[in-house]
Amino acid sequence: MPRQKQSKPPAAGLATKTLILDNGAHTIKAGYSLLNATSPPSLDNCHVIPNTIARSQRDKRTYVGSELDECQDFGELAFKRPVEKGFLVNWESEKAIWEHEFFNAGNTGLQCEAPEETNLILTEALSAPIALQRHCDEMVFEEFGFGNYWRAVAPSLSAYGASPFKGDAERPMGTPMECAIVVDVGYSHTTTTPLFQGKPLHSACRRLEIGGKTLTNQLKDLVSMRQFELRKEDWMANQIKEDVCFVSQNFEQDLERVWKGGSKDPRVVDHSIVVDYVLPDYESIKRGFARPHDPSFNARKRQLGIGGPREDLVVLANERFTVPELVFTPSDIGMQSEGLVGTILQSLEALPKGLWQAFLANVVVVGGTSRLPGFVERLEADLRTKLPEEYAVRVGLPEDPVKHAWTGGARLAQNEEAMKQLVVSKQEYMENGDVWVRRKFAGKLGR
Amino acid sequence: MAEGPLRFRTPHIEEIPTTHSRHQPGFAWVTVKKDAADPSKAAFEVAGKKRARTTGLGQTEAQREALSARQQREIERRIRDLNSDNARDVNIPIPKQTSGGSGGAKAGKTSNTKKILSSGKEFKHYLDDEEAELARTGKIDGLERDPDAAVAQPVQRATKMPIARRIQREQSSMSGSPGPATLAHGLTLPFEPGAGTGDEEHDFDAVPRLPTMEEMQALVDAPPLTYNAARSAPGPASAPPARVFCQTCGYWGRFKCLKCGERTCSVECEAVHVADRCLKFYA
Ligand SMILES: [Zn+2]
Ligand SMILES: [Zn+2]
Repeated sequence: MPRQKQSKPPAAGLATKTLILDNGAHTIKAGYSLLNATSPPSLDNCHVIPNTIARSQRDKRTYVGSELDECQDFGELAFKRPVEKGFLVNWESEKAIWEHEFFNAGNTGLQCEAPEETNLILTEALSAPIALQRHCDEMVFEEFGFGNYWRAVAPSLSAYGASPFKGDAERPMGTPMECAIVVDVGYSHTTTTPLFQGKPLHSACRRLEIGGKTLTNQLKDLVSMRQFELRKEDWMANQIKEDVCFVSQNFEQDLERVWKGGSKDPRVVDHSIVVDYVLPDYESIKRGFARPHDPSFNARKRQLGIGGPREDLVVLANERFTVPELVFTPSDIGMQSEGLVGTILQSLEALPKGLWQAFLANVVVVGGTSRLPGFVERLEADLRTKLPEEYAVRVGLPEDPVKHAWTGGARLAQNEEAMKQLVVSKQEYMENGDVWVRRKFAGKLGR
Repeated sequence: MAEGPLRFRTPHIEEIPTTHSRHQPGFAWVTVKKDAADPSKAAFEVAGKKRARTTGLGQTEAQREALSARQQREIERRIRDLNSDNARDVNIPIPKQTSGGSGGAKAGKTSNTKKILSSGKEFKHYLDDEEAELARTGKIDGLERDPDAAVAQPVQRATKMPIARRIQREQSSMSGSPGPATLAHGLTLPFEPGAGTGDEEHDFDAVPRLPTMEEMQALVDAPPLTYNAARSAPGPASAPPARVFCQTCGYWGRFKCLKCGERTCSVECEAVHVADRCLKFYA
């Protein structure tokens, strides 16, 4: 058993500078925040770094993290990701990326000169296997040597972010939202996390195994099967998704609008939804782009290279919204789990009814996929129809849903008192061991 | 009668029973009905129904089950593929750092981190280890866990009750109340904790009581669910059946290929399916 009745960790070691590292499966969101700073943290201080090591079969180069910015040819680029299913699993590659970004950073502004004089806030996914939690703690203290450290579930940090709801009173830095359900539509999966004063109510946390990568892969499969072989083009498929996909507000209607009909009953396709997407060749066209669909004969000739340079083109119609639909209706690919709205209700049902209103009025949506047009509107509308009308439902999208957890961490790291409650120092780790650290982070110590 | 089946270019097509489709809002038949005045269309539909009956009888129960078991495996394989993280068949070596850091990619400064850095384990291995420990000891990391915690207590879905406005009123009137109750970890309740009489179930019009201090504390203290218990559960049995789509064009999958079970929306799309993708060619 750990030492008893230790209400606060020794304050001596808390550093001024905190590295907030939201270690996502797709991207790392990282940057520094200073204790007792006088102005709120700026989104500009948050760097978004691909959390991957990529290998090009064409230029035979290996790209680590932000080196991808230098990449000119994303054709058939293959990716190795340290974060698997949302969990930091492969430390060999994560270490290479962290070293490149934080210890070999040059003048990017992310260089960590003295980890022993730096606090680290590192995010992890909910329900992480204990062995992976231990690996994190050991790597942070024994390999990287940070002076103080808090391992937080990512949605906790979001609770410390600025309220996405207009009219809410401004909270002081380091004060979390009273009650919130954070809906994190990430790359690996989507989680619903009710938080009470920044603490996850674990028995009510749920995970829907549809994330940004599921959508990218689905789009890749559909386009490959119907039009153009994209199976090796992860980067391109992700870009197409970000450029053209949207969440339908009326799925059945939109599907009818883009149906060509049968041969006996042809329909006029509604071209306001259909787009032509010109694929990059990474020579004359560095980046793909969408333009209004042109069904004319001339357009088809150009695809064959007649009367102009040849273009590789895919026509996207129902793919634009049937792909993001998987978040709301996973049974469209045969997945048994309820969709996002049902998953949120599962979280609610695990809570006393007396708390529902407080949580429903504070649904905060974060994560890259939540930026798809129509996402929040659809979520709010569907949630609304599933609940008694007496409940006030508010669904909010923060200013930057990708950086929101980072911002929450950066706000927290300005508040000395709040930080002291949460972090573990390297000395404490050395004295008390790994089990003690896990108990501390799980909130089982320091009563 | 005789000309009906001839409208199909291939014999592997079955109309989905209309009883099934009725449950699906926006299902294709709604739109097809609009064209019912078209005689050729009407014949098309009649032919489809006839075909469904005859071919349906020609299939044994075992054949049907084998098809659906295979389809189920196929669905699971596809979901796994859609959720895969890493490039499959490409080996990506980790480059050596040029300066700084702690030397070679694998090095490791302590015996712990050496072990971590050289581990080739994947997520599923860690998950299996933990599930095995839980099954063996009933504990994770020395703490008791209920492997079925999430599914153990099914709760009734919300019913339409005029309750929430009152909670809201009650809560907003309390927000300025002094001296909120204090929980462990320095947490405070933003409201007066409930009395916990537990008899609100009998009063249909009752305001749901706010949780007691003990209940709130228990919620905050609850251990994380296991990975599997945290997965979003399937919907209620009363949920509408899964929607099906045309493999070729993505519209509603109104017809089922009897060879492979795949769906298409029209004769044209069905022809593409048969020519390029029908599994009978791979089986
Ligand atoms: Zn079709
Ligand atoms: Zn077939």
